[in-house]
Amino acid sequence: MDEDQFKTRLKIAKNKIDSKKINKNKSNHGSYLGVAFKMSTELVAAVVVGTIIGFILDNWFGTKPWLILLFFFLGVATGILNVIKSAKKMNK
Amino acid sequence: MAANPMHQFNVYRIGPEIKIGQIDISFTNASLFMIISVISIIIIFNLGSKKKSIIPNKIQLLAELSYSFVSKMINDTAGSKAKPYFSFIFSLFMFVLFCNMFGMIPYSFTVTSHIIVTFVLASFIFIGVTVIGFLKHGLGYLKLFVPSGVPIILLPLIVIIEIISYLSRPISLSVRLFANMMAGHTMMKVFGGFVISLGIVGGWLPLSFSVALTGLEILVAFLQAYVFAILTCIYLNDALNLHH
Repeated sequence: MDEDQFKTRLKIAKNKIDSKKINKNKSNHGSYLGVAFKMSTELVAAVVVGTIIGFILDNWFGTKPWLILLFFFLGVATGILNVIKSAKKMNK
Repeated sequence: MAANPMHQFNVYRIGPEIKIGQIDISFTNASLFMIISVISIIIIFNLGSKKKSIIPNKIQLLAELSYSFVSKMINDTAGSKAKPYFSFIFSLFMFVLFCNMFGMIPYSFTVTSHIIVTFVLASFIFIGVTVIGFLKHGLGYLKLFVPSGVPIILLPLIVIIEIISYLSRPISLSVRLFANMMAGHTMMKVFGGFVISLGIVGGWLPLSFSVALTGLEILVAFLQAYVFAILTCIYLNDALNLHH
């Protein structure tokens, strides 16, 4: 009788641990949200910085529309590269 | 009745106007909330580290938990070389966290919802990390812009891309924190306005949404402080351990 009681109590305790583990997995979703924010801002920030650099260089050299166009696309490439890099880091 | 949802971000002067030359340095509500969060951090950690009992009370537990949390985060992301910078990252994390959390109290002011505040923090980190990198590696730090295994023809393009990527760090760091805080608080205000304008009949739906949003905002407030600190660690890691 006593042993039976012990066994049921053990079972309940083990179930509790299992449910806690599931909860832990759930709380990890929060950091995925953080990763999503990180990627999106990285993509946008690189484009912005590229465009700003192009604008400044254009003003310096007086080649009005060309460098801003070039650096805009370089910024886009940088942003995509950054996202790919951090995605690769996540997969490790 | 319909309150402007952006009204909560207004910075206004408290007390007399103080000017040095052309620069206005009067005490504002933003400075008030910065001081409140700094003082509460100091009080909590002073109380928490005062008794040093083996069985900690609640405040001591809070202080110890946050210490080990940040310490583990630095160790995982930047390695043991980053230990000397613990105090800086810890105070940064605590400051951002407390500013975000104080912003969640109704009628308070969220310091981190202003891009100038987050940008100053981020550019401070950016300059500091760059200086540390050059001090540790000398001109060899410039190797960061030249990844290994790139064909010579592509090299100029890659170097420009790496420089843009390096320069975009402070912007992405500051914009993330600022945009998250501002968007969340504006959304809460807008749904709060819906509750009033729809009245007692239709107001329950936006009200329940508002409640859910408050929970989400508290999560975001913590998460953004965490992301801010962990990215600082990652940048520090790049500066300390160059070979990556």
